[in-house]
Amino acid sequence: MTSTQPANPTLHILNKPPGHPRFETCLQAIQDCDQLVLTENAVLALADRSVTLPAACKAMKADVDARALNEQTRTGTIDYAELVRLTAKHSRIISW
Amino acid sequence: MSTLIIVDQPPYGTWAGREALDMVFSLAAFDQPAALLFTGAGVNWLRKQQAPDAIGQKSVEKNLSAAPMFGVEEILADTASCERFGLGPEQLVSGVTLAENLQDVMNAHSNVAFAG
Repeated sequence: MTSTQPANPTLHILNKPPGHPRFETCLQAIQDCDQLVLTENAVLALADRSVTLPAACKAMKADVDARALNEQTRTGTIDYAELVRLTAKHSRIISW
Repeated sequence: MSTLIIVDQPPYGTWAGREALDMVFSLAAFDQPAALLFTGAGVNWLRKQQAPDAIGQKSVEKNLSAAPMFGVEEILADTASCERFGLGPEQLVSGVTLAENLQDVMNAHSNVAFAG
């Protein structure tokens, strides 16, 4: 059954570190129109050379600073207010 | 008879890594020879200038640099994991020895335990 209506843009919220099985599952589930937010241990992906991140990807600033990863942000960082705005904007949300 | 505690869990997400540090310091406090090996995502504990106050946590940088004074024999980090997470000599906290072969490190200790 090929769905004709436009894909439903989904917000993926990931807090697992690279290497955790669910980290890989999440990355595979991300479609072009989706948005990924890295929180807690998932921000370690910013320093992990073996990880390729999707274009639409943000990381939580507090978690990035906690782990001293501020210089190597391959993505933009957001705060909680911005995360709330993203959850309001997306009709479909998956917390991994 | 010495104990090696291996930390392969990342900092802050869970309590596992912190419990391992407490374990090592307790062993050292009772004059049991003990060492710490960080590997996998665990090497991220060893990055300098962590500022976890915004997530309600404390940095372990001071504890790690004080470890020798508490009698912790060695703090080791697995070279391959350091490369994977971009941890060069300038990013690593002081007092960390790089270890190439984990098997050799493990064989050098009679007891080996993992955190979490």
